Amino acid sequence: MTGASSSWYQRKRTRELALVACFLAPALSIFFLYRLLPLGWNVLLSFQSWSPLKAATWIGVDHYEEMLLDDDVFWDALANTLIFIGCSPIAIALALAIALLVNSDLRGAAIYRTIVFLSYPLMTVAVGIIWRWLYDERGGFFNYVLRSSGVIDQPVKFLQSFDWALPCVIAADFWQVLGFYMIILLTGLQSIPQHLYEAARVDGVPAGARFWHITLPLLRPSIFLCIVVGILNSFTSFDLVYVMTNGGPGHATELLITYIYKAGFGQSRFDYAAALTVVQFLLLVVLTVLANRLSGGNAGSLER
Amino acid sequence: MSWRRILTHRFFLVPLVVALLVAGWNVYIAFNDGGLIAGEVRDRAGTPVPGATVVFFERNFIYYQEKQRTTTDAHGAYRFDGMQVHVGQLEARTADGRHSERRQLRLWFRAQNAEMAPLVVDAPHG
Amino acid sequence: MRRAPTWPRHAIMVVVSFLMLVPFYWVLKTSLTGENIYAYPPHIIPVDPHLFHYVDVWYLIPFPRYLLNSVIVTTMAICGNLLFNTAAGYALTKQFPGRRWVVLLFLSCMLIPFQATIIPAYLITSWLGVLNSYLGIALPLLSTIICIFIFKASFEAVPRSLIDAARVDGLSEWRIIVRIMLPLSKSAIATNVILTFIWSWNAFLWPLIVIRTSEMQTLPLGLARFLSVMEDTTGALFAFVVMVLVPGLTIFLMAQKEFIRGLTSGATKG
Repeated sequence: MTGASSSWYQRKRTRELALVACFLAPALSIFFLYRLLPLGWNVLLSFQSWSPLKAATWIGVDHYEEMLLDDDVFWDALANTLIFIGCSPIAIALALAIALLVNSDLRGAAIYRTIVFLSYPLMTVAVGIIWRWLYDERGGFFNYVLRSSGVIDQPVKFLQSFDWALPCVIAADFWQVLGFYMIILLTGLQSIPQHLYEAARVDGVPAGARFWHITLPLLRPSIFLCIVVGILNSFTSFDLVYVMTNGGPGHATELLITYIYKAGFGQSRFDYAAALTVVQFLLLVVLTVLANRLSGGNAGSLER
Repeated sequence: MSWRRILTHRFFLVPLVVALLVAGWNVYIAFNDGGLIAGEVRDRAGTPVPGATVVFFERNFIYYQEKQRTTTDAHGAYRFDGMQVHVGQLEARTADGRHSERRQLRLWFRAQNAEMAPLVVDAPHG
Repeated sequence: MRRAPTWPRHAIMVVVSFLMLVPFYWVLKTSLTGENIYAYPPHIIPVDPHLFHYVDVWYLIPFPRYLLNSVIVTTMAICGNLLFNTAAGYALTKQFPGRRWVVLLFLSCMLIPFQATIIPAYLITSWLGVLNSYLGIALPLLSTIICIFIFKASFEAVPRSLIDAARVDGLSEWRIIVRIMLPLSKSAIATNVILTFIWSWNAFLWPLIVIRTSEMQTLPLGLARFLSVMEDTTGALFAFVVMVLVPGLTIFLMAQKEFIRGLTSGATKG
């Protein structure tokens, strides 16, 4: 009797396990195929010399040597990527200011929120074209404003100057990502219990100190998330750079991701591009760990 | 999940409105796509000009080249049939060398029926 | 207790809103104007406005073809997402040996950005033989981890009594999902659909890599190609941009709540 029921239980259990495996299989296979396997293959490929026409040969760290010692474009791209990431705290601060403004019971706050967030779900290619037109020296908005207010006489070629191209691309990215930061910070702001503010106000704590000692520490998880998104943003800004400047003028706006695309699909040097990708991924990991450390560990979360 | 809630929900109404607009537009196109371009040639006094040649230019990237010509009948009216264009230019010329300005033609869809305002040529000399 | 005046905040927000909306307006006005758009000074109100640039764009470039390609890829991505994410989310609500490892696996996959995988993903796709096809474009987009966890949380909120009653009635697992859990997870479904729509509609880098012929190009690719091919002095390019943005904006405005909820629930899981 017990033998029969335990084998029935076992059959039921195996059926259940088989079902779970079936249900998990499609999602797991997609992630294996398109996330884990490529990551490992990248590392493998970066140590090989391979082209679609000939077989792979192991060459050790030759690609890394070439990248770090001979390749100026790599260092330009790395510097530009770091500048891009370094500007994200500015965007986060701006978004925090806007979030504080629309968080209160302002009439029409929902409309302001929608307007600021409107730019995020747009196609980044379209955003690139819009901003390229805004920076145009003939029909663009910025040149028009500057010239008609008398600040400058001659039109400024924003996207063709070595100094202004990268800040212009960063400004276009700010416009798109500000709404996203604002939403994340708003969610964080709204989860701060109000009684803390009440208690502080009753105790006579001034508004500035209330902000520094109550709001900011409790916003740590949201700010950490914004920093991580800001780091990832420099990788996903391929669309913007491709459409606005294509890395130019002369690699002034070249990001690591655009350089990887050009090396892999422009020059067909898949192995070198794989090495670049490994370096980019390591950069991402290092920066994320650093951000984690700076925001107090444990992804900035408030539980201990 | 009541039927009323489904029917008034925005996820249903917005696609429905879009679908209705698209269907309505296609119905309009179906009724008006004969490809007929018609009009009259008059002179400055307002009299119709029979026997004038009306030339239709089609657009080729940035310039226009002649595609077809027809002659006006006794009442000064002309027509082109079966045109599959959405943009072009029209010009009227008479046998004695007078011609009207080039009229730009812009349609909403290919082969739209168009009724043109009269093409004006100068009055005949003498 | 005196309340602080609200008009300074309104004033600042009006300025901020104006700055955020200027790019939209500038492109809209350029798409409607009838003048040479490169002449200086540009007019703020469009001169001689007309809608015929939109007609030109419709016939000049294969806009219907690009739209069709985008719609097909997005539909495939949404269907695949709903199917796979629901199944995976349900499987994760059960207790089975190795569950922690699977969850950890998913979380670690979330840390790998798509950009770190493009070279091998291209090689895998060409090895699978689906290069330059709808399936090839849609394949990496067929499942997203954030949505799996959203479904998992939503399924876990279903009371056990309902599930047990259904089991007693003899329903199979898939039927339990469809009949009981999905109707109670409508917000999770809406969030999943919106997030997948936005990500696959706007995807540029992956289709750029996978698509080799011009008939299979999706809208973002068509837009970028048009930019390099046509340099005319009219507003046709900007009419194209407006036409491309309208579907995305409409769907976003229609489903704002779900979109924001999807983004922030990813935040709280993060």
